[in-house]
Amino acid sequence: MSPNKLTWLRLLGRGATRVWLFVVLFLAWWFWSEGSKSLYFPPLSQILKSVWDQWVTGSARAQLATSLEHLLVGYVIAALAGIGIGALLWSLRYVRDATSPYLYFLYVLPAPVLVPAAMTLFGIGFTMKVVLIAFAAVWPTLLNTLDGMSGVDQVKLDTSRVLGVSALGSVFRVVLPAASPQIVAGLRNSLQVAIILMVVSEWQASSDGIGFYISNAQQSFDYVGMWSSFIVLAIIGIIANLLFVAAENRALHWHYGARVVEGRTR
Amino acid sequence: MLQRSALTYGLRLAVLAAALGLWQGLSAAGVIRSDEFPSMSQTATALWDLLTQSALWSAVGETLEGWAFGLVIGVAAALLIGTLIGLNGFAYRSAIGVIEFFKAIPVIAILPIGLVLWGATLTTKYALVAFAVFWPLVIQVCYGVRSLDPVVRDTTTVLQVKGLRKFLMVILPSAAPFIATGLRVAVAVALVVDIVCELFGAGSGIGERILLAENAGPTQYPQMYAYIVAAGLLGIFLAGAFTVAERFVLHWHESQLAAKAVSENQGYSERRRLASVA
Repeated sequence: MSPNKLTWLRLLGRGATRVWLFVVLFLAWWFWSEGSKSLYFPPLSQILKSVWDQWVTGSARAQLATSLEHLLVGYVIAALAGIGIGALLWSLRYVRDATSPYLYFLYVLPAPVLVPAAMTLFGIGFTMKVVLIAFAAVWPTLLNTLDGMSGVDQVKLDTSRVLGVSALGSVFRVVLPAASPQIVAGLRNSLQVAIILMVVSEWQASSDGIGFYISNAQQSFDYVGMWSSFIVLAIIGIIANLLFVAAENRALHWHYGARVVEGRTR
Repeated sequence: MLQRSALTYGLRLAVLAAALGLWQGLSAAGVIRSDEFPSMSQTATALWDLLTQSALWSAVGETLEGWAFGLVIGVAAALLIGTLIGLNGFAYRSAIGVIEFFKAIPVIAILPIGLVLWGATLTTKYALVAFAVFWPLVIQVCYGVRSLDPVVRDTTTVLQVKGLRKFLMVILPSAAPFIATGLRVAVAVALVVDIVCELFGAGSGIGERILLAENAGPTQYPQMYAYIVAAGLLGIFLAGAFTVAERFVLHWHESQLAAKAVSENQGYSERRRLASVA
């Protein structure tokens, strides 16, 4: 065999190792549930058919779009506000010292408890969901931005000052890049919070969205519908994660490169 | 140094007083309608009443019970399965993709499944908390087990330390810092999932009381906010207790020594960063 062929075989083996368990689990679920007469465990074929009929081509597509709109608007607000306010607090040391315990309180507060309160304040419409998602998701980004910026090496700041970079310029050229790995960690955390709040807020109080669909399915004992919404939410989470990793690799490419050069692997 | 911390605490108290005063002022001036958002004094009175009665404590107890049960089940499963997977290279390479896949599933996605299988019961609460805790932790356990120093591993083989003894005396201590990082996340996630379950009627506790107060109408809103404050305080308490426990249990480990050195220079930021990046 040529060496070229050997590498191919090795790659194939590596790929197979990563994939076989997925295949086995999927097939196991498929065949184990296929003849199932149980109401609670409908056949996987039926669940997937319902995902296709309802969520891809059918009426639930509108619910999906509404949910994603809530998520996107709320998350973008949270991300921008988190980075902006975090940077502002970093520059105002006394404000930061004075407010840090309260920021931490809001960070650890399990945000879903705010849903009933948000309903009394903002009703059950678009505003309530966006406000709630943004309010809950802002804290991980904000605190991570603050921490990341506080951790910037003083030598770097001094160097940029000596080189004649203005204060604002050094924020954008030195501090934000240096803090970006941690800001990204915060953004990822915020995204998870935002997805939870998206579903909980729609479920508790809504006339549309994925959460509303689930609550409807629950009340009408539509177990296939609940399994299919699980699949849809899982897919949303996994796609969001993949997009995030791709964006992170692109944005922080230089950072990982620099760390490898420094002799530390990621 | 002392002066600065005195100043900081003074400022913190001033901020708290100003925020509470503003809240009260806005309510008194009618900017915030009392049937939508209770005044600060009403909320504080409600909180005080709850603190002195058993109502709050029984709710906290029920929430903590769900949190603890789910956490114990999830942690035990993650330790067992994570160790078994981590010890075998083939198992690790096969399973890590599947674990990453499940970890990316939002916790909330399994709530409908829990409600299908067990309805609005305590079992749902325990199962969902355990599920939410399991995935982020099992991945840390795998990493921890695989980080075992080869020299230590070979020494154990030569000395024929096997089975449970090997697990308790070699693997667990060596993986401890990784497990601690995973646990820190798990502790917070467990509380959130626990309270979400209660908001959907699966078991009673703080989440359930908040929902009841909301349904009871504007007269009960002060109680609702009092319970919300209590939930936040519980979150702070659990996070703080975890940090203390971690320092106590892992004081001998080099990551803790390094963290200690760092925290003397820079406060908590570096430790939090280590935790959040990992």
